[in-house]
Amino acid sequence: MRLKNMEGCTKFPLWKIMQISGCIFLILVILSPAALGKKKDEALGERVKQLMDWSTKRVIIRMNGDKFRQYVKSTPRNYSMVIMLTAMQPQRKCTVCRQVSDEFQIVANSWRYSQSYSNKLFFASVDYDEGQDVFKMLKTTSAPSILHFPPKGKAKKGDTFDIQRVGFQSEQMAKWVGERTDVHIRIFRPPNYSGTIALGILLSMVAGFLYFRRNNLEFLYNKTIWGVVSLCIVFAMTSGQMWNHIRGPPYAHRNPQTGQVSYIHGSSQGQFVAETHIVILLHAAVTVGVILLNKNAITEGDIRKRRVVTVIGLVMVVFFFSLLLSVFRAKYKGYPYSFLIK
Amino acid sequence: MAEHSGQYDAANTAKRNQNPPQMASKSPGNRHKNVQKSTKNQDPGEEVELVQAPETEQLRFPSTSKAVEGLLTFLILFLACLAAFSSRLFAVIRFESIIHEFDPWFNYRSTHHLVSHGFYNFLNWFDERAWYPLGRIVGGTVYPGLMVTSGAIHWFAHLLNIPVHIRDVCVFLAPLFSGFTALAAYGLTKELWSPGAGLLAACFIAIVPGYISRSVAGSYDNEGIAIFALLFTYYLWLKAVKTGSVSWAAATALSYFYMVSAWGGYVFIINLIPLHVCVLLMMGRFSYRIYVAFSVFYILGTVFSMQVPFVGFQPVRTSEHMAAAGTFALLQAYAFLKYVQDFLSKKEFRALFFFGVMGTAGVVFLSVVLLTYAGFIAPWSGRFYSLYDTGYAKIHIPIIASVSEHQPTTWVSFFFDLHILVCTFPAGLWFVIKDINDERVFIVLYALSAVYFAGVMVRLMLTLTPVVCILASIAISKTLTEYLDNDTGSGGKKKVEEEGEETEEDEEEVDRKNRKLYDKAGKIRKPKLDQDKDSDGMGTNLKGFVVMALLMMLMMFAVHCTWVTSNAYSSPSIVLATYNNDGTRNILDDFREAYYWLSQNTGEKDRVMSWWDYGYQIAGMANRTTLVDNNTWNNSHIALVGKAMSSNETQAYKIMRELDVNYVLVIFGGVIGYSGDDINKFLWMVRIAEGEHPKDIRESDYFTVNGEFRVDSSGSPTLLNCLMYKMCYYRFGEMQLDFRSPAGYDRTRNAEIGNKDISFKHLEEAYTTEHWLVRIYRVKPLDNREPSTDKVSKKSKKKFYSKKTSKRKRGSIKNKPVVKKGKRKTTTRKSSSKTTGKKQRTK
Repeated sequence: MRLKNMEGCTKFPLWKIMQISGCIFLILVILSPAALGKKKDEALGERVKQLMDWSTKRVIIRMNGDKFRQYVKSTPRNYSMVIMLTAMQPQRKCTVCRQVSDEFQIVANSWRYSQSYSNKLFFASVDYDEGQDVFKMLKTTSAPSILHFPPKGKAKKGDTFDIQRVGFQSEQMAKWVGERTDVHIRIFRPPNYSGTIALGILLSMVAGFLYFRRNNLEFLYNKTIWGVVSLCIVFAMTSGQMWNHIRGPPYAHRNPQTGQVSYIHGSSQGQFVAETHIVILLHAAVTVGVILLNKNAITEGDIRKRRVVTVIGLVMVVFFFSLLLSVFRAKYKGYPYSFLIK
Repeated sequence: MAEHSGQYDAANTAKRNQNPPQMASKSPGNRHKNVQKSTKNQDPGEEVELVQAPETEQLRFPSTSKAVEGLLTFLILFLACLAAFSSRLFAVIRFESIIHEFDPWFNYRSTHHLVSHGFYNFLNWFDERAWYPLGRIVGGTVYPGLMVTSGAIHWFAHLLNIPVHIRDVCVFLAPLFSGFTALAAYGLTKELWSPGAGLLAACFIAIVPGYISRSVAGSYDNEGIAIFALLFTYYLWLKAVKTGSVSWAAATALSYFYMVSAWGGYVFIINLIPLHVCVLLMMGRFSYRIYVAFSVFYILGTVFSMQVPFVGFQPVRTSEHMAAAGTFALLQAYAFLKYVQDFLSKKEFRALFFFGVMGTAGVVFLSVVLLTYAGFIAPWSGRFYSLYDTGYAKIHIPIIASVSEHQPTTWVSFFFDLHILVCTFPAGLWFVIKDINDERVFIVLYALSAVYFAGVMVRLMLTLTPVVCILASIAISKTLTEYLDNDTGSGGKKKVEEEGEETEEDEEEVDRKNRKLYDKAGKIRKPKLDQDKDSDGMGTNLKGFVVMALLMMLMMFAVHCTWVTSNAYSSPSIVLATYNNDGTRNILDDFREAYYWLSQNTGEKDRVMSWWDYGYQIAGMANRTTLVDNNTWNNSHIALVGKAMSSNETQAYKIMRELDVNYVLVIFGGVIGYSGDDINKFLWMVRIAEGEHPKDIRESDYFTVNGEFRVDSSGSPTLLNCLMYKMCYYRFGEMQLDFRSPAGYDRTRNAEIGNKDISFKHLEEAYTTEHWLVRIYRVKPLDNREPSTDKVSKKSKKKFYSKKTSKRKRGSIKNKPVVKKGKRKTTTRKSSSKTTGKKQRTK
């Protein structure tokens, strides 16, 4: 009876509920595609919003495996992603990663603060130690590498930035991004204040030094200091330091097969840094030799001293010049002349 | 004031002291005495006499010393000039008297115009043959000094009834002026150090490869005369600083005017001289001599330089000239304060002076900056800016970076161009600094700035060379003086020594005549060495060794110079030569062959498209209109040509139609292994085109997957189908050069070409030279309309029949032109209609 009663009691509401729920279900069934689409749109909009949020906080969004799947791999996207895979942890000992990351940062910053900044393009990075699964997913083992994920379709051949070939200058990166996404970023490098600051410190130090020594400025008239400074400039230039500065050659070359280290570049078109140092020494030795030859005035009186200085000067000039000539001969193929040393 | 002039004189006396060593040895003590004795502002001529008089009395020449000395000086300078002239004639003797390379052809062409049309027509010359369709105002965009100089020589020769052709004047102008340069170097060094060093400097600059590289016979370019003008201006400037006379300063301004009219490098002068003045002010070496010299020079020089049409108002409106203006203002303020000094007490004056000078400097600097911001003064132009920020050109101006002369300099090229001078001139710099005076400050500044610029750009080695010669001659002359004379007069003997060396140098260049002289010099030298042995002192043997070693090295320098001149710098580059195993020579005269063909077989007004390197040559030798040339003033025009070269044929044809091109000329070195051809330059064309048209041209498309630039079958398809590739390798695949290599084997790049099946739709081969070095293609005009309408009419006929009823059927004319409606003129359709048209024609 009780049970019956209860049945009676519940009969109406149950039916009602069923009816309502059926209605709702029907409505749901009818509306579901539209609703789902709307949901997707919302999700996309949300994701973009989320990305925008992140990128305002941090220009390069840091990602782990989950985020990567959610924001990069999920299909409907209306934005491009440029992802840098890297390994910045100190124990990885990846020095290149840091340089690449700096350049990447410059590109991202230039994009973030450019006039045409929009939600069409995001920069992100994945560290190996935070998202190993990403590396697995992309089947890469090397870091650093920079990939582009276009809004539609799969990544193509050109969507991997070729660091080996074009280098990792941010200008090159921007060019590549421009090619892949039609978003042209004008690189704005934050002006490197370190040089200016260093110069400023140096100047103020010099000024301070002069101020403290203001009662004794004789050393400014010391011609030896000025002479040494100018000779340093001359030696630096004539040995091609400017070339080194512009072209950035390696210090020396190690032959991978034999392990032999060569300090002197084989052709006359190039040079190593070590080589220019050798040349500085040779030039300086010859110059010092010539100066020694003229030192007679100082060691005047003592004949033996004069003789020794003269002999040293002469030997320096002749020996180091012939050495220089032989180095030149080794580099300049087909040069016929030599002096003392072959 | 007194102190400064005292320094000045101390240096002068030191100069006097250095010749007799027994005096020089005591010089530190001696100098102070001499300071008081010597008078201010000695006439330099007098000074020389004073220097020479005591020595020459002791010379062992029987005749009067001064006459001998004058004769020797004259003889040595004459021989130096002769050596300078004759060592530059390799190209003329080996080949013929022709103009070399690229830029000289333009200079020659405009000189020719000047000579045949007169000066005013030249100034107003609008050249419609260049930069088609823009044209170029030549009179307003060249430095006319070079043309006017050779025109004047030509005019003068004809006045004397010497019928010399203007081409020969042009060819031999640079060697002639290098003789003058030797004289200017002598004068400059004489002002700085001593006449002996001057003679040595003259000999050095006569044969040093760094200068020969730009002044061989036939290299008819601005630099050839500009280095003379540069040195001569500096010589006169030092004279003006020394004497403080208005006439020398005015002469400096005149010489500066000549330099401005000759070369864009005059900017170096107008920055270096103010720098000299500034540094002198900072060193507290101000004197009214400097005031007069600089004020006169700056005012006159600015007014003169503005007379050159190409320069115009630049001296008052660009940043490059602002240093001079600022220094001028500063100098006026400084002099004014000096004048005020007379009316003030010492203490008042010191404060006023300090703040006055600092204030003026600040005001000048700020006003220049403000005016630059306001736009009254143009900021640094890219070419100059790239000297300061060395990475600038590489990123922003590919057209500057693409020129091989604008690369930085390796130590090898320093050594190659200067040999022993490169390691002795620092010693000279050291001696000069140790013994500084007003003029020597100048040479130090010159050396430091020039060595920096030469490090940044290979091309500016040219401005470094003179100062290296001067300083090295000072170092060597000082050393020789030290070891040659033995308690006797040095000057005369040193000169004998130099003469000996001079003849050794000559011996390399002009063989027969001078060998006699060489023997003579040897005879002279031997007894002298014996004399050294006789006399005691510090080891006469040792002295002999030092002298011998130095002479050996100088001889090696002469040999090196000759070898470099003969092997590296004497190729005309429009005539190539190859040598067989037995030493016989083949002349490859393809360039002139092609240009002659153009001049004979094409229409008077035809346009020839080529890469800009060949623009001047086409205009000069073939006398045809070009699109771009070596005066690279319009980057977008060049980029358009680059785009045409690097697009596929259809795209290129569009561009060529727009530019009205009739012929296309390419340089192809694959047959003979000539490395400077268009395929090797091709990447620069792509880069320059990409700079202007980043949407259409991408450099990465021209590389293989691995990022290599390859012409063989693994090369990128974009490259294998671009116009330049097709034009270079058209029918090259059928050609087998020798039995070992396959057909179509490119000798320059050592690869078998990747696309052997090349055919053209819009172009046809017009001419290929003997060694395939130059290939010329004719751009076909658009097809006649007749065949293309045919298909349309057929189509419309079908429509016509299908739509109309038979009642209204009309008779139709065969091949009747039908008006096309709507915009349906697409490329595919055009081409398809064309093929059918061809078929029809064959029917």
